[in-house]
Amino acid sequence: MNKKNISLIGIISTAFFLAACGTSPARIDATGNEGLVTVDEVDFKDWQIAAEKGINSLLESGVLNRSDGRKTILMISTVKNATTQHINTRILTDKIRQALLRSGKVLTTTAVGGNGPDDAASKQVRRLEEDDMFNQTTVQKRGTAIAPDMSLSGEIVQQTSSQGRMRESYFFFHMALTDLITGLAVWEDNVEIAKQGKKPLLGW
Amino acid sequence: MQKIYIITLICLLLFGCQATVNTVENEQKNRQLEVVDTSRVSTDAFLKKRLEIVSVDKRELDGGLLKVQVTARNVRTGFWAQLVSWFMGDSPYQIAYRFAWLDINGMQVDTATSTWIPITVIPGDSIRLKAVSPNPRCKYFTLSIRENEAARS
Repeated sequence: MNKKNISLIGIISTAFFLAACGTSPARIDATGNEGLVTVDEVDFKDWQIAAEKGINSLLESGVLNRSDGRKTILMISTVKNATTQHINTRILTDKIRQALLRSGKVLTTTAVGGNGPDDAASKQVRRLEEDDMFNQTTVQKRGTAIAPDMSLSGEIVQQTSSQGRMRESYFFFHMALTDLITGLAVWEDNVEIAKQGKKPLLGW
Repeated sequence: MQKIYIITLICLLLFGCQATVNTVENEQKNRQLEVVDTSRVSTDAFLKKRLEIVSVDKRELDGGLLKVQVTARNVRTGFWAQLVSWFMGDSPYQIAYRFAWLDINGMQVDTATSTWIPITVIPGDSIRLKAVSPNPRCKYFTLSIRENEAARS
């Protein structure tokens, strides 16, 4: 009985001790450098760096300037994920499309996209012309949506290597802008991010 | 006498360990950049002593966007400076920078990004921190530079 009690007290004390070792959760500045850095994954900071460098390069290139004074209509095509991780590449494309929209040079279409439309409403509302519940003069007509001039696509590639306890990941963010009239890539750039870390002697 | 030999050997080894960069550039430059008059506020004396701002240039791109380039140089070269840097763990020097953009009235223009970008500066080397304004309304900028504690070994 005594032995049992002592074991129980020991287990509870250890649990309390281990619980006390953790740090309490805290909010961090999402634009700062305080976020976790992992070797094998794309961290939020990596997305931000890739987006910022890509946007700077694209705006500087001048390919979005048009001589007719009209804004370029951009569609977001696919960004292939060739990494070992399950990642949502939308973090990258959303940042780029928002920055381009704010630049005043581009309008993005949500009616068509590489993975289907971002917003299916443009198509859905046109089906209302068969519905007598709606005043047909208010229903959007066919042939009024504006087709895109350019498309933004990309690929994220990961290469890993290790030597002893050292591990390394190399992420290659490739972005391209295609002129949909000619099918030619009018802008391309890469952002490279390399990360290194040492495995602990114990654990993983 | 033996002590002198050991100290000399250590000094030679440290000289050999210096990881600095030698640079060469063309002397005659026919640049079409506009040199920006800057006003600087420094609060980190350590950073100021290590990283010297060489020039601040800007150029208006087609379409009204502004490109800014700030050239800085890591001036921590030489034996003693390297020794101190090695001791402090800041060789190569890890910094992070961020651009903020202001309109003609000095109001900050929100951008989709504007994040701290980490960069490594080897002693003796020059770096060029570049950014393009997010839209043609941006006329002024602020560059913040800080030591990147998170990347220090």
